[in-house]
Amino acid sequence: MAIQYISGKEPHAREKRLIFKNIDRVGFTPSIDSFLEDGGYEQLKVALKMEKSAIINEVKASGLRGRGGAGFPTGVKWGFIPPTNTKPVYIICNADESEPGTFKDRYILHQDPHQLLEGMIIACFAVNAKLGYIYIREEFPQAAIIVEKAIAEARAKGFLGKDILGSGFDCELYVHRGAGAYICGEETGLIESLEGKRPYPRIKPPYFPAALGLYMSPTIVNNVESLCHVKHIIQMGGAEYAKLGTPNNTGTRILCVSGDVQKPGYYEVEVGKVTMGEVIDVLCGGMKPGRKLKAIIPGGSSSKVLRADEKFKLKDGREIGIMDIPMDFDTMAACGSMAGSGGVIIMDDSRSMTWVINNLNNFYAHESCGQCTPCREGSLWMKKISDRIVSGEASPDDVDSLESVANQIEGKTICAFGEACSWPTQSFIKKFRDEMKGDCKPELVGEIVSDEGKVAAAGLAA
Amino acid sequence: MVQDLSTLTAFIDGEPMRFNDGDTVLKFIDRHRGRGHVPTLCDAPQLEPYGACRVCSVEVAMQEDGPRRVVASCHTPLTAGMHVFTESPKIRKLRRNIVELVLTDHPLDCLTCEVSGNCELQTVAAKVGIRQVRYPSGANHLNRSKDRSHPYMTSELSKCINCSRCVRACDEVQGQHVLSMHGRGFNARIIKGLDQSFMDSTCVSCGACSQACPTSAISDVFFSKSIEATRKTRTVCTYCGVGCNLNVATKGSEVLSIQAPTDSEVNHSHTCLKGRYAFKFVKHPDRLRKPLIRYNGHFTEATWEEAYDYIAKNLQRIKEEHGGNAVGGISSARCTNEENYLMQKFIRVGFGTNNIDACARVCHSPTAWGMQKAFGTGAATNSIEDLEYTNCILITGANPTEGHPVTGSKIKQRVMKGVPLIVIDPREIELVPYAKHHLQLRPGTNVALLDMFAYYILEAGLIDQDFIKKRCENWEEFEQGLRNLNLDESERTHGVPREKVRAAAIEYASAKGAMAFHGLGVTEHSHGSKTVMTIADIAMMTGNIGRPGVGVLPLRGQNNVQGAADMGCQPHQGAGYLQVNDEANHKLYEEFYGAHMSNEIGWKIPQMYDAALAGKLKALWIMGEDVVQTDPNTEHVKSALNALEFLVVQELFMTPTAEFADVVLPAASFLEKSGTFTNGERRVQRVNAVIPPIPGTKSDGQIVCDIMQRMGIPQADYTPDGVLAEIARIVPFFKGATWENLTDQGTQWPIKEGGIGTEILHVDSFKRGLGKFHFFRFQESKEIEKHHDEFPFILTTGRILEHYNCGTMTRRTGNAQIVTEDLLAIHPDDAAKKGIESGDMVRIFSNRGEVNMKAKISTEVKPGILYTTFHFPENLVNMVTSSECDEDTMCPEYKVVAVDVEKVPASSMPKKQRMMEIA
Repeated sequence: MAIQYISGKEPHAREKRLIFKNIDRVGFTPSIDSFLEDGGYEQLKVALKMEKSAIINEVKASGLRGRGGAGFPTGVKWGFIPPTNTKPVYIICNADESEPGTFKDRYILHQDPHQLLEGMIIACFAVNAKLGYIYIREEFPQAAIIVEKAIAEARAKGFLGKDILGSGFDCELYVHRGAGAYICGEETGLIESLEGKRPYPRIKPPYFPAALGLYMSPTIVNNVESLCHVKHIIQMGGAEYAKLGTPNNTGTRILCVSGDVQKPGYYEVEVGKVTMGEVIDVLCGGMKPGRKLKAIIPGGSSSKVLRADEKFKLKDGREIGIMDIPMDFDTMAACGSMAGSGGVIIMDDSRSMTWVINNLNNFYAHESCGQCTPCREGSLWMKKISDRIVSGEASPDDVDSLESVANQIEGKTICAFGEACSWPTQSFIKKFRDEMKGDCKPELVGEIVSDEGKVAAAGLAA
Repeated sequence: MVQDLSTLTAFIDGEPMRFNDGDTVLKFIDRHRGRGHVPTLCDAPQLEPYGACRVCSVEVAMQEDGPRRVVASCHTPLTAGMHVFTESPKIRKLRRNIVELVLTDHPLDCLTCEVSGNCELQTVAAKVGIRQVRYPSGANHLNRSKDRSHPYMTSELSKCINCSRCVRACDEVQGQHVLSMHGRGFNARIIKGLDQSFMDSTCVSCGACSQACPTSAISDVFFSKSIEATRKTRTVCTYCGVGCNLNVATKGSEVLSIQAPTDSEVNHSHTCLKGRYAFKFVKHPDRLRKPLIRYNGHFTEATWEEAYDYIAKNLQRIKEEHGGNAVGGISSARCTNEENYLMQKFIRVGFGTNNIDACARVCHSPTAWGMQKAFGTGAATNSIEDLEYTNCILITGANPTEGHPVTGSKIKQRVMKGVPLIVIDPREIELVPYAKHHLQLRPGTNVALLDMFAYYILEAGLIDQDFIKKRCENWEEFEQGLRNLNLDESERTHGVPREKVRAAAIEYASAKGAMAFHGLGVTEHSHGSKTVMTIADIAMMTGNIGRPGVGVLPLRGQNNVQGAADMGCQPHQGAGYLQVNDEANHKLYEEFYGAHMSNEIGWKIPQMYDAALAGKLKALWIMGEDVVQTDPNTEHVKSALNALEFLVVQELFMTPTAEFADVVLPAASFLEKSGTFTNGERRVQRVNAVIPPIPGTKSDGQIVCDIMQRMGIPQADYTPDGVLAEIARIVPFFKGATWENLTDQGTQWPIKEGGIGTEILHVDSFKRGLGKFHFFRFQESKEIEKHHDEFPFILTTGRILEHYNCGTMTRRTGNAQIVTEDLLAIHPDDAAKKGIESGDMVRIFSNRGEVNMKAKISTEVKPGILYTTFHFPENLVNMVTSSECDEDTMCPEYKVVAVDVEKVPASSMPKKQRMMEIA
């Protein structure tokens, strides 16, 4: 029987629904019965009969790249667990989906939690983790309740606990709730938080949690969507899965489109098989009436902004416009940004870029954990300066000083938050410098050091 | 130029340099270019790399002209051939920009700031060349209020630069976890406890945070980071056997503040509130400043000459009338080796008697005795440093976080890193929540428990056959004893389920290396020496002797209790532990001192009291010990002192003991004199006078030397290094010790020629040849047998962090504001039965006497057990303790006292107490 979706929420014909197959599906509930009727946990049964290394090899062969933001190959990550390891191995599902512009994992957690559990139990089996944690952000209280219920159901059916399905493999999963901090999405910050500590990201080395992570044991941290893909990789086989999408950019991924389009929302597409232009015009029904595209943040708020009239030179020598960029990892990187978490933010010509960057700077100043000096102080100064630009009280020089603050954060912090908070500012200024300077008072040129600042610098202030 | 990149070579700005395996980039640069070449705000030598300030950033590349990366040097491991660029234009700009950001939220009142001239932020700002702050002012934290709640610790968080050094010092150095960061980003700020003041938080005032803080954000009332001092003198703390090194800042004859040297092997930038802050007693108005002579029952101030004459006359008379055996001396574990040496020489040579003892009698005499019997040496077999290498820690009858705070912290740090800890103690001490095993036995049953512990090691087959066979003797008897144990009876006796004992025993015996620490909870029992020997048995049967990370380590109580015994302040052994009744030794001593000496063992302290009461001991000389407050059964001690014809006391203050004296001589404190202390790991360390003796006082060594000369006993003028040279000639294990070669770090004895020390004893063979096993069957204490029916509670006593012994010194410092009285811990069940609530005044009484103090309801003790401390003369707890003592050494049984307890009705309280209650 054909799958029926709620009216008005039917997938677009250009979509390829793997992960979101059951989202908005008529009659499908988060209960295990729904999931089992749909063939749920069959892949777990298959996987439990496989060699552990064979599962890892299938995931490697699938070419699956992490869907949380960095796009790191999942199978390779699993392979980082030291072969000589004697400590327990942990898997953590990063369900701290907090990148502005991203809203895919919440649908999986809310509507199809067993898909995640099945993928995660297979992953646990593959890396021999007997304990896994699902770290759910504070802002998803319902998700935590739903997933906990799902875990109880799975346990009752023998998909979790001791000797799962007679395989001899024991596994337990637990939900851990965050307390409302963006930094907990950073994997080492998340691990610290899970250990009950302040979520300060860890210094390197150790370079990967897979070597030393939770409780100083090997730990795999995967995004919700990434873990869901594991189930489908087992079902299809790695090689078959790799045929989805484009080479090195395999499978499907969920794009979360927001902003000034007719139909914002989530769209699961084969990676690289649709272009930005198709996302806007075909999937999302085009820009709002009478409006023109101005800029796009293509992969969550931390990715660098793209200008509507930019031309991008690719490795093969082609020069393409913004609408021609295929929605994949590598081309997006070649265009100077990143596919990131799949959060595509479309901005039309009604939007003030000064306002947008100020909005982002406010977010990052609020979310800096405060551990590293450049980020703690710098993110606040970016906010303060862009506050001033937005209020029209700034000197055009402020735009340059804003850029210089961003430059001294990038690459100078323990975790990638430094980049996450400085890339937007750097790219917005690079691409919209004139507009931002235009929002300032030209008569203040040369006056960016305020009187108080001058006094302070002379060491005379109280 | 060295170009061998296969080995440990890397480049600093193009210059090839050797590095050590495990170096971070910063450590490497620090070593070759000096600390500070690369500036940093969050890194500190005593803390783990943190990487947060990023000021220490450098560029690194794998080829000189290869692509460069910016990394924080403090946490980046160095690799062979790495090129490090410490001051490229990019790096200089980066550092300047970071410091500029910090300065946007820092008050610029540098000239009036207490750390001006010694502020790391100031230095770093100067080094990176900040000339302006480009950012207009905005939100800041300049108005944060100061915390002045605590007698020592202060904070002024407007000066905080969020480097987290204080938080890390609290976690990594002290292990107290009081400080933490609250809020995030720009709102992140340091809090104490649950955002409390220092005073209200659980801070133990160790000051590690203050010392670690690069600014004055966290400091202390003594401004210990200011550069006001004109001199800094390195010396050794006088408070406990850890032997912390101290850097004492002075101006003229005023002691300004104390910090812990970063390079000290003993305490690595750390010390406790006693060492760091409790020094104000030095110039306390109560200090004795003139000799006092008792005429007709009243003290009269006298000159030193008058006092010496009076003493010499009386001692001479008593010697002539009653013989030298009518004179005795009690030396002091608080004094230097040189002073102790002279004291025993004075008594032995001057009076031809061996009636010389020291306060080790009442603490670790069973350790010295027991370990000599088992190993041949009555001292720690290993060093505290061995904690770094051990795989298991056993603590029996000790509370190191209170009694030996720096060692306690080190143990806690190791345990937090995963080393299993076994605690054998009747109380739930601070380390218990960290411990894997807590065997909470009934006080006084150590032998029963440790026998069972040994039995389970044997049963599990975890003995080291090879070690036993090659290195030990008398195993068969010991094994037979264990095999004959009645486990049911043992279990009933000590009250710990046998499975728990078994698990702990297996933990200890299966560790690759295990260290056994013990304290006064082992020694101050009627079977103290036997317990020490049983601990030695357990170490030997598992081969835990003679290598790194193992051993038997007594936590010596006083700063120089090891030294006092080493120097011969014991009635049975002279300087260097030579038995006085051995003919050869006797001859050696007589020849060395050129005097007629006694070859009969003298009286131990408790025997001296009995002799005094029997009229046999007529004169007693006490150097720096308050026996009335600290020895058991106070009334007995007092009557003994009253029975003496002549008592001389050398003291800092008019103590309850000094009150009984005929002559009181005002002595100088540790900050006012030089000499050496020997800590609990046999480390002989130089004590350097920080200020001259306060006017009117003299060092104890000077006093003893003066009186010796006055009485015609040959003795060269007093100099600490001169006496040390004499010691080196008679004490075998001091042979290579000279003042110079002890160095700043001290040297662990035996000290061989050239000043070479010994970290681990009994490496290839035991001092006594073969290690000897001893089996002892548990015997109930007579105190319990005699008095338990009438007095059904067992009182056990101990110490707290804030006060030292009878508190003569600490009660005259800010510590007295932190802890103001002794409290009696009582289990809630017992309290309920007796109708006692926390804060109630209770009466504790035994068949010796009674004492009143406030109760504290606590589950740290089991039902039937009471616990208190003995720091305050107002609560003279030794009124109730007994004269029972260790059979071998006469160390008093402070830890098992049969008492009863009852609530004191309000009307029968002293008036002052009632007033306080009403208020």
